[in-house]
Amino acid sequence: MKIAGIIGGILLLIIALVILPRINNVPKLDENVNMYASQLDNQYKRRSDLIPNLVATVKGYASHEKDVLTQVTEARAKVGQMTLTPEVLSNPEAFKAYQNAQDNLSSALSRLMMVTENYPELKANENFLNLQAQLEGTENRIAVARKDYIEAVKEYNLELRTVPGKWVAALLYPEAKIKQNFTATTTETTTPKVAF
Amino acid sequence: MKLLKSITLLVLFAVTVLFSAPNFPELNNSRVVDNAGLFNTYQRIDLEKRLAAHETNTSNQVVVVTLNSLEGYDIADYGYQLGRYWGIGQKDKNNGVLLIVAPNERKVRIEVGYGLEGALPDATANSIIQYEILPFFKTGNYYDGVNSGIKSIFEAIKGEYKPASSDNKDLPMGLLLFPILFIVLMFIGTISNAKNSKERIIPAIVSGGIAGIVSWMMFFILGLSVFIAIAVFLLTLFSSNSRGNGSDYYSSGSNFSGFDGGSFGGFSGGGGSFGGGGASGSW
Repeated sequence: MKIAGIIGGILLLIIALVILPRINNVPKLDENVNMYASQLDNQYKRRSDLIPNLVATVKGYASHEKDVLTQVTEARAKVGQMTLTPEVLSNPEAFKAYQNAQDNLSSALSRLMMVTENYPELKANENFLNLQAQLEGTENRIAVARKDYIEAVKEYNLELRTVPGKWVAALLYPEAKIKQNFTATTTETTTPKVAF
Repeated sequence: MKLLKSITLLVLFAVTVLFSAPNFPELNNSRVVDNAGLFNTYQRIDLEKRLAAHETNTSNQVVVVTLNSLEGYDIADYGYQLGRYWGIGQKDKNNGVLLIVAPNERKVRIEVGYGLEGALPDATANSIIQYEILPFFKTGNYYDGVNSGIKSIFEAIKGEYKPASSDNKDLPMGLLLFPILFIVLMFIGTISNAKNSKERIIPAIVSGGIAGIVSWMMFFILGLSVFIAIAVFLLTLFSSNSRGNGSDYYSSGSNFSGFDGGSFGGFSGGGGSFGGGGASGSW
């Protein structure tokens, strides 16, 4: 009897020690994901903000490259209507639409940068060089923010899908949903580089 | 004693496993990590001195790294991860800058921490690379290139932050934890005069629980606190002479603070983070 009590006590202690620290994990990881999502959204916005200037500068030297320029402007307009809100994160369609719009802008931009290769005067323009450096830096930041977001979502989804986080969530946070993550697109695996 | 030693070793091991990342060079208390061997001793010390002086005046941490190989990574991808790994920049300001030179890949990068992206924007970093660094690198003159590069970097970031007014370095929480654990242990050891382990079960659970909760509040690392809780529980349960053991733990507690004291002297990252800001160039 006494031995059983001792063993029971130890088991209770261990269970309490495993579960108790996890009680806040789901909301904490959720906030973490939201933070990284808004960081990513900020970086995408920053890229979007660079585009009017870039398009204007390129137009000054390569006005007859209309196709590429309109593609970039249109892709940017589409991106402008979307924000990565917490609701979007757990909605597969909305998330996919967001990802597609951003990917379209990425490929339109890389086409534009390819075209500029043919205009040596444009490439000597100080303003253009600055914009190019900013665009390159922003693409870098987007890559970093995407990776951070992917990691955060992985952690959150893992907590929701595995024991004991699964039990805690079922008990205390029934509204918690699996969040969407990025899939590497073909454009990403071939990395549209801003070439010099 | 032996048990305690192996437990601390295990805890230290767990901590290093949690925070390690693959294949980055070590900082070794230095602001100039010259793995590619581009500088002679005099040049290295000179750079080191100026980087250190800049940190004292502004609290910005600037580190020069030369690499033998980027291991197939893009330099931008490698750079921000290295910056995060070392934690260059103060934790609350994220004011670190890395100047990374990979002579074999002929790549150079200025990696800018979050907190300095305003003072050293990408376009500025790019023009520093194009006009201050690359002209020297093209003639193989690495030291002069790095020299004029960090001069321009200092120029850009010097006004952004002031050094912290009080030099109050945060004491590592772990250092506080151990004395508390030992006091708890001693206290419980003293109040329980029980001779066999069965009668010590309640105090053992209590002290284990306290240790677990205290360590969880300090570290927020689940595995570690559970481990500490169980270790304290077992120690209390099976310690043969409570009084003697208590003072034993206590003395090894002071060993801990001595053991960590060494790391206060040299240079180490302040815990700053990076988000991919900066610019790259090649020659």
